Amino acid sequence: MASSPTTSNHSNAKQTKPEGSKKHIIAFIFSILLTFISFALVMAGEINTDFIYIMLVVLAILQVFVQMAFWMHMKDRGHTFAIIAILTGVIVVFTCVIMALFWTRW
Amino acid sequence: MSAHSHAEDHLPHEPERATLEGRNKITAFWLFLGGETVLFGTLFAAYLTLRNEVNGGKTGDELFDFALVALATALLLTSSLTSVFALQAMHAHNKKALINWLIATMVLGLAFLGLEIYEFVHYAHEGHTFTASAFSTSFYTLVGFHGAHVAFGLLWAGSILYQLTRRGLNTTTAPKVYLFGMYWHFIDVVWVFIFTVVYLMGKVG
Amino acid sequence: MAHANAHAIKRRTGLMDWLTTVDHKKIGILYLIAGGFFFLVGGLEAILIRIQLMFPQSEVVSAQFYNELITMHGTTMIFLAAMPIIFALMNAIIPLQLGARDVAFPFLNALGFWTFFFGGLLLNVSFIAGSVPDAGWTMYAPLSGTGYTEHHGTDYYVIGLQIAGIGTLIGGINFLATIINMRAPGMTFMRMPMFTWASFITSALILFAFPALTVGLAALMFDRLFSGNFFNPQAGGNVVLWEHIFWIFGHPEVYILILPAFGIISEVISTFSRKRLFGYSSMVFATILIGFLGFMVWAHHMFTTGLGPVANALFSVATMLIAVPTGIKIFNWLFTMWGGSIKFTVANLYAIGFVPTFVMGGVTGVMLSAAPADYQYHDSYFVVAHFHYVIVGGLIMGIFAGLHYWWPKMFGRMLSESLGKVTFWIFYIGFHLTFFVQHFLGLLGMQRRVWQYLDGMGFNNMNFISTIGALMMGVGTILFLINIIITARKPKDCGNDPWEDGRTLEWTISSPAPEYNFAQTPLVRGYDAWWHEKMEGNTAMTPVEPIGPIHMPNASILPFIMGIGLFITGFGFMYSGEWGTLGFITVGHAVGIIGLLITFGCMGLRSLIDDHGFHIEEEEILKDQGVKS
Repeated sequence: MASSPTTSNHSNAKQTKPEGSKKHIIAFIFSILLTFISFALVMAGEINTDFIYIMLVVLAILQVFVQMAFWMHMKDRGHTFAIIAILTGVIVVFTCVIMALFWTRW
Repeated sequence: MSAHSHAEDHLPHEPERATLEGRNKITAFWLFLGGETVLFGTLFAAYLTLRNEVNGGKTGDELFDFALVALATALLLTSSLTSVFALQAMHAHNKKALINWLIATMVLGLAFLGLEIYEFVHYAHEGHTFTASAFSTSFYTLVGFHGAHVAFGLLWAGSILYQLTRRGLNTTTAPKVYLFGMYWHFIDVVWVFIFTVVYLMGKVG
Repeated sequence: MAHANAHAIKRRTGLMDWLTTVDHKKIGILYLIAGGFFFLVGGLEAILIRIQLMFPQSEVVSAQFYNELITMHGTTMIFLAAMPIIFALMNAIIPLQLGARDVAFPFLNALGFWTFFFGGLLLNVSFIAGSVPDAGWTMYAPLSGTGYTEHHGTDYYVIGLQIAGIGTLIGGINFLATIINMRAPGMTFMRMPMFTWASFITSALILFAFPALTVGLAALMFDRLFSGNFFNPQAGGNVVLWEHIFWIFGHPEVYILILPAFGIISEVISTFSRKRLFGYSSMVFATILIGFLGFMVWAHHMFTTGLGPVANALFSVATMLIAVPTGIKIFNWLFTMWGGSIKFTVANLYAIGFVPTFVMGGVTGVMLSAAPADYQYHDSYFVVAHFHYVIVGGLIMGIFAGLHYWWPKMFGRMLSESLGKVTFWIFYIGFHLTFFVQHFLGLLGMQRRVWQYLDGMGFNNMNFISTIGALMMGVGTILFLINIIITARKPKDCGNDPWEDGRTLEWTISSPAPEYNFAQTPLVRGYDAWWHEKMEGNTAMTPVEPIGPIHMPNASILPFIMGIGLFITGFGFMYSGEWGTLGFITVGHAVGIIGLLITFGCMGLRSLIDDHGFHIEEEEILKDQGVKS
């Protein structure tokens, strides 16, 4: 079957830059840290609940971003459709969640 | 006839992308993850709607065991890291290291699952059963679906391990490993939202 | 090294060929046959409904059976007829339009078909079992729960659709990956034909909408089979939650139905006006916008559930917004025809008839989108009129256009134009007779889903006319079937480009296409790739590769068996309460687990057994070419 010139071939691009574990381990430490902060916020008590909610969401999104960008290579080239697929899913979910919150809390 | 080390020397740098079949599989799997995002998102939305309907039973705050959840989170997160190392070993064409990191991932995943089953049994003894309330049904459905994904992932990893040992690392098995890695990261991402929305927000009230 | 077992060409014949095929062209025909069969079933249900409503207070069918009829009519037509026929055309045509040799995952393509088939079979076996779904195709809670529906009808719905839905999701991902990765060289996204673009967006909608249905059906199943409480208010559940989840799926679903029709209309109108589609970029953009907005409007099915004025207003406005890109498309079709050299083939009749009919359906949609007005329209025949105008007057007309247009490419013969014209007019006039009067029935206050209506309400004459129209549509459908039969007897002698005005790549290869589609992958140099070459005086596409052995995927019986496994599972879990126990497990659960083992066992076999396909050798390809010239 003809290999189409329109499909990209990554072998050439990556050979110049060897993969290191450093970025991935940093992502791991970051994730642990963000998780720890989330748990600490909740266990601490005496903190404004609305603030905690917002921080939890922010910390979760941050951790997901770190994991997807580094561990799932979404920051690397060739991931356009990956980003479109996940982003579209996120937008649909976001709409549902906003509606769920609006519906139950307003 | 399984591929021996001389065949691995002829492997391209990113063996999972070397064939059209491999590239198609990766593209399709990203798309599938987009769909899974909506699947879990709908479960989350349903949970958010029903999380306060405890029908006289215990609330999340009273039920959840945080030490357990923190430990489970650490286990799953670490297993996600070991799966990264597995992929790196694959790109370095090191089959032995790949297999070892894959086994580490599976062990950690199994430990996570064991903790979760223990947790569910514990909650059931406290009256928090599937049929107890709307909160409990949506809790077990959401967290249970995630657990089922972990369990399926473990079976999948086992199958890949078997294929790697019998047939070695080649352009047919490499995409399978890559896809598993994507899947495993994704369920870790979902877990981030579960411990945030279900457990932590449940504690806050 | 890996080709050791790849040389023996094992071609099956007859029934085994069809049960094991992974060829997108054959799978397309399978979808067409199955979808066509279910269309007849749904059509029969419709005729029975209309006969019951022909006269006031009639008792042609019982009230219970009537509820079953309306439920199954909607469910069958949407999930088992319309979507499969759309998939038939998408399967048959997209790879050809892309210059590809098959879809990205031929095995999964077959699996998608068989899961749809067995899901649809399970749904209709309910008639034999005597427990037919009867709570409407929308299965609102709590009517669909065990509190009000103890019999297994809802379970057949839940499990049958869950299984069929897996097939649809698989198909959606398959088409997306194919279009992203397997376009011929030179075919950028903005050079793709409109049918492929529309199918691309449709597949994206499928990918993001069906998981919501999966969750909803699973939740309903948990409530019914395992005493869950999602929709049980006594334990804190919420019945309106079902509506939200269902319509988050349900609204994109109707765009899944119509977007491919839009694509077909673009192809047919531009081909038979001998003119380039007007405003291609805006067409693409409008399709994307319709798809996106389709996810933002679901609560317009729920205006009367008490969401409050803010929510109602937001969803109203969002719904009205969709009219804008849709209007852009309508105007582009009109401008395409303007100044063109129009040929009134049957396909074009359906396409041109589509335009005003769909507009009528669209404007009643805008009427419905005004939330305060909808308080009057909701659950009346006005809604029924609206959605039948867009689905039948829109989608079905588009399907007929597409079938007439692409029949030679799929079967090597052209459907009879003269019989086709008679069919068109009978169906079209019958359609308007059936549904135009229903607008007024709704405005006069006739509710939908009623088994009988009282005499003296002013409904009698219009219901009678509506039934006559339905019978006409039935006649039209039968005529179409007759057309298919008499065409099947003609010799397979169509050329590559039987309409002589083909613009896209599928018209560059033989009719029907050879097993491998393209002997040589073509080079695409512009939009309407084939027309582009024709205008430059070329008689063939420029190839990008020499003639050589072509790698093809092997056929497999596994998809068929996996479908059977799921079918068995559905039955087992549904009747687990009634078939007794076998030690610590019920017989039903045991049967269900056996079914799952079959399906997952096949999945394991597929993963563990390396399948390297086979090669079609040069001699065979050259022979095909020799015969043609």
